[in-house]
Amino acid sequence: MPRYDAVVVGAGHNGLVTGSYLAKAGRRVLILERREQAGGLLANLEVAPGFKAPGIVHTVGRLRRSVIEDLGLRSNGLELISPSVRAFAPQPDGSARTFWGEVGRTADELRAHSERDARAYPGFDERVRSLAGFLAAVNEITPPDIKARKLTDGINGLKLGLRFRKLGPKLSREFTRAAPMAIADFVREHLETDAVVGPLAARAVQYTSMGVWSAGTALVFLNDSAGNDGGVAGQTVFARGGPGALAQALVEAAKGFGAETRTGADVVQVTTNADGVATGVVLASGEEIEARAVVSAAGPRRTLTEWVDPVVLGPHLRWRAANIRTPGATAKVNLALSGMPSFTGGDEERLAGRIVIAPGIDYVERAFDASKYGRISEEPYLEATIPTITDPSLAPEGSHVMSVVAQWAPYELRDGDWNAERDRLADLVVKSLETYAPGLGDLVTARQVLTPVDLEEDFGLTQGHVLHGEPGIDNFFLWRPLLGHARYRLGIQGLYLCGSGAHPGGGITGGPGQNAAREILKDLKKA
Amino acid sequence: MERYDAVIIGGGHNGLVSAAYLARAGKKVLVLEKREVLGGAAVTEEVFPGFRFSVFSYVVSLLRPEIIRELELPKHGLEILPLDGTLTPLDDDYLWRVNDHGRTIRELRRWSKNDAEAYEEYGRLMVEMARFIKPILSIVPPDPGRINPLEWLPLAGLAKRFRDLPEHLESTFIQLMTMSAGDFLDQWFETDPLKATMSASGIIGTFQGIRSPGTAYVLLHHYMGEIDGAFRAWGIPRGGTGGVSNAIASAAKSLGAAIRTNAPVARINVRGGRATGVTLESGQEIEAGAVLSSADSRVTFLQLLEGGTLDAEFVGEVKRYKYRGSSGKVNLALDRLPDFSCLPGPGEHLRGAISFSPSMEYMEKAYDDAKYGRFSRRPYIDMIMPTLVDPSLAPPGKHVMSCFVQYAPYFLEEGKEWNDEMRDAFGDTVIDTIAERAPNIRDIILHKQVLTPRDIEKVTGLSEGNIFQGELSLEQLFFNRPVPGWARYKTPVKDLWLCGSATHPGGGIMGASGRIAALQLLGRKAA
Repeated sequence: MPRYDAVVVGAGHNGLVTGSYLAKAGRRVLILERREQAGGLLANLEVAPGFKAPGIVHTVGRLRRSVIEDLGLRSNGLELISPSVRAFAPQPDGSARTFWGEVGRTADELRAHSERDARAYPGFDERVRSLAGFLAAVNEITPPDIKARKLTDGINGLKLGLRFRKLGPKLSREFTRAAPMAIADFVREHLETDAVVGPLAARAVQYTSMGVWSAGTALVFLNDSAGNDGGVAGQTVFARGGPGALAQALVEAAKGFGAETRTGADVVQVTTNADGVATGVVLASGEEIEARAVVSAAGPRRTLTEWVDPVVLGPHLRWRAANIRTPGATAKVNLALSGMPSFTGGDEERLAGRIVIAPGIDYVERAFDASKYGRISEEPYLEATIPTITDPSLAPEGSHVMSVVAQWAPYELRDGDWNAERDRLADLVVKSLETYAPGLGDLVTARQVLTPVDLEEDFGLTQGHVLHGEPGIDNFFLWRPLLGHARYRLGIQGLYLCGSGAHPGGGITGGPGQNAAREILKDLKKA
Repeated sequence: MERYDAVIIGGGHNGLVSAAYLARAGKKVLVLEKREVLGGAAVTEEVFPGFRFSVFSYVVSLLRPEIIRELELPKHGLEILPLDGTLTPLDDDYLWRVNDHGRTIRELRRWSKNDAEAYEEYGRLMVEMARFIKPILSIVPPDPGRINPLEWLPLAGLAKRFRDLPEHLESTFIQLMTMSAGDFLDQWFETDPLKATMSASGIIGTFQGIRSPGTAYVLLHHYMGEIDGAFRAWGIPRGGTGGVSNAIASAAKSLGAAIRTNAPVARINVRGGRATGVTLESGQEIEAGAVLSSADSRVTFLQLLEGGTLDAEFVGEVKRYKYRGSSGKVNLALDRLPDFSCLPGPGEHLRGAISFSPSMEYMEKAYDDAKYGRFSRRPYIDMIMPTLVDPSLAPPGKHVMSCFVQYAPYFLEEGKEWNDEMRDAFGDTVIDTIAERAPNIRDIILHKQVLTPRDIEKVTGLSEGNIFQGELSLEQLFFNRPVPGWARYKTPVKDLWLCGSATHPGGGIMGASGRIAALQLLGRKAA
C-alpha cells in the first residue's frame, strides 16, 4: 500500500488548494514543488533589497470565496485589500478614464467625455454581471461525461439548464450570441469612446496570444468577471504582503490539514504499472514516490508529453496533448521606485488599482499584431500596479514597487533571443509608461524582467504560457484541456489534472484545484 | 389588384428556390427581381461584348443535392463542369493539388513526406466529419430562449449522434467549430503554402483572418460539396453561375411560378401586424397571402418595412447585426492565357483555381491591412479562368478571368472612401499582385471590371457588400442568424418570412435557406 493517497505535483495555488482539500478529507497527501519556494505564480520576488514585488500576477480578486472559507485562509494570515478603484486608464492626450468599484461614480466621470457612454455603462455592467453569473455556475461544476449516461451527469446537466433558464429568454439568447464574439465588438455594442473601449476590452486578451478582434475573447472577458464582483471593470484585489502572502496562507492551510509540502523536488516522470495505471512519480534525484493518485498542477501538455510514458499514453493522445496550444506572449517587468510616480490625471486613490495602458482598440490590436510575426510590441499593452500605495510594507519607507504585466512578448522571437532582448523590453516598458507618467524613468532604482523563456525555465510554464493553455473557445469547459479529459482525470487511470489547464481555466481562482479535489476524492473512495 | 399566395422579394438563387418549392406545392407564386437579370449574386452577364462573366459568385459546390433532385435541375439546363485542382504559384516554385489523389500525394511528397502522409489521413477524417455535419444544413435552428421540445428535437438527435461518435471524431468536430483554420491545420501540416491555401477557404467572404477562431469550420466545406454524388469537388456551372439561377428559374416557371424582372419592391405592406403584399417602386400594389424576402435582414426590416412596424428592441438587434463586406472582385477579359513564371506556358494547371496564398504570413498581413481600414497591399486572390472549361463564355481563343479578392473592407480608414480613384487603386493592386507571378498579365488584358464592396452593394443590394448576407462569424450563425430568437425563417410580422442567405445555413450557392424557408411556410419537414 503506497504511503500516500495522493501526490500533488506543483505547489502553485491550485496544487495547494487540491492538496488542502484532499488532506482536509483525511487523505494522506504529499505536495511536491520544483522551486525552492511554494506558491508558483503567486511568488513574491525581490526586485532589490527591501523591495518585494509580485512575481507574476499582482492581483488575486478572482479567488473563490468558498476556497477562502473552506480552507480558513484568513485565519492562516490572508488579508485582502480592495481599493475603491478598479482601473485607471491614462490616454495619450493627457486625459484619463477611471473605472471605480462603484458603477455610478464611473458613469458620472465618463459623462465629461461622452453622455452616451455615461448612460450605457451601468446597463452594460449589469448585463456583464448577469452573463458572468451564469458562467460562475458553469465554472463550479465538473464538465459532464458525455459518453456515460450517469444520473449525476444528468442532474448536473439539468441544474445547468435550469441556471441557464434563470437568465430568462433575452439573456440566454444573449449568452449564446455574446460568448463567441470578439471583445472589441462586444464592448463597442455598448460603449463608443475608444479611450473607454480599449482598456476595458484589453482585459479579455491579457495572458493570451489573441487580439481584441479574435472571436471568443468576449467569453474570456465574461469568465474574468465570473464568480466575483468584477463587472465590466474587472476585479482588483491585493493580498497584504503581496501575492506571496496568499501562497503562504495556502501552504499553512495545507499544513494545518496534515498535507506535507516538499520544495526543491523536481518531478521527472509519472510511473505506471503493467496495466497503464499511474502509480507515483520519480524525482530528478532518482527518488520514487508511490501514491494512489498522481495529481498534476502543472500544464496538461507538459504533464502528458514529458512525464507519461508515450507507449502507455498511446500515439493519438500524445499527438493531441502535444497540440494543446500554449503560445506564451506575456512578460513581467518589476520596478523599484525611489518615489511615487506621477501620472497625468492620476492621484494616489486613482493609481491604487490596475493602471491600464491600452488607449484604444487599434492600439491593443497593433500591439498584438507584432507578436504574430515574432516581434515584441513596440507600443505594448501594459497592466501596472503600485501595490505599495495600499501596502507600504512591501518597500522601504517613501519608495514604491511597480509591477507591470507586458504584452505582447512572444516566446519565440523571430530575430534575436530573449537574453539579448530582455533589457530592450524593460526599456520599452519604461518608455511606454513615461508617455503617461513623465519622469518615471528617473525614479527607477532597480528593475527585474521575466521573459516568457524565464517563465518556462523558472516556473515550468510551457512556452511561458501563464494560463497553461490558451483560454480560447477551442479550449473551454468540456474540451479543456482535451475533449474526453475535462473531468480532471487526465489521459491514464490514476492521473489527475488540477491546474489552470483544466476547467475553469487560468487565473488565481482556485477553481480547477477545488473542482479536481472533489473528483479525486470520489475516485479514492471507490478504490 | 393582382393577388398571389406568396410573393418573393428577390430573384437570387434562394428566392427562386423558395418560389419553386412553393409552386411545387400548388401555390400561386410571384418572384420580383429589381434587376433586369435573374440570379442576384449568382448571375452571368455579358459585361464586355462577347465576354460573359460570373460577375460575383463564381464557383459552386454546396448546392444541395436534394434541390437538384427535387427540382430536376439537370432537365432545366443545369450542368456543372468540374474545376480541377488548385495551383498556388510561388516565387520560383508552386504547389499544385489536383483531384487525382495519387498525383496530389506525389506533389506533396516533393514538399514534405510527413505532409503527404498526413494529407491522406486528414482527407479521410474530413470526409467522415462532413458526413456527420451535413444534417445541420437542413436543421431549423431552435430558440435558446425557449424550451419547445419539438424545436429542439432535431438538435437532440444530432447530439445523440455526436455522443455515439468515436472520441477522435468528437474532438475534431469541436476543433472545427471553435478553432482558427490556421491553428487547426498547424496540427496536421508543415508546408507553409499548403496551410496558407487550405486556410484561405476559411476566410472567404468574412472579415476574419486565418488565425481567427471559428474559421476552421469552412475547411469542411471542401469535403461537403457534392457534385454528381462525388464528394469534394468544386465546379463551375455551364454558362457561369447564372446557369444555376436560370435552371432554378426554369424549374420554378415550369411548376407554375411567375417571375418578373425590373420590378424593384419599394415596401412590404403590413396591415394589422400582417404582411399583406408589396408595393413596387412603380407604385403598383400586389397582394399576397405571404411575403418572402430573400433580401438580407437590414434591407428587409429597415428599408422595406415602414418605420414603427417592429418594436425597438428587434430593430436594435437588426442594426447590430454585422455585415462588413471584406472582398472585391476583378473580372478580366483576356486576349490570351496568362503565363506563370513558376510554371510557364499553357497547361492543365490553369484549368483549376489559382490561389494567391503563398504563405500563412502573407494571408495574415493581408488581414492586418483590412483591420485598419485599408485594402490589402498584397491581397489573397482566388483566380479561375472558366473559359478553359467552358469556352462558350468568350470569343474563340479569348478568355475570361475571375479574381475573387480579399481583403477589401467596405469601411475604409477615417478620411477615405470608396470612389473611382480608390477603385482604380484597388484594381491596380490586384493586377500588380498577379503580375508578380504572371508577368504578361498587363499585356493580355482587353477589358477590366473592378468591383469594390460598395459596388457589390449597389448592384446586388447586399448590405455593405457582404456576399453572405451577414458576416459568417460564430455569433451570427445558427440560433442567431439573423436575429436571436428569430432563426426559424419567420419574422415578428405575421406572414413575412426570410428565405435568403441571411438565414441558417447561410451563404454560398447552396439554396438551403430558400428550400427550408419554403418548407417551413408549408409546414413541412426539411430533412
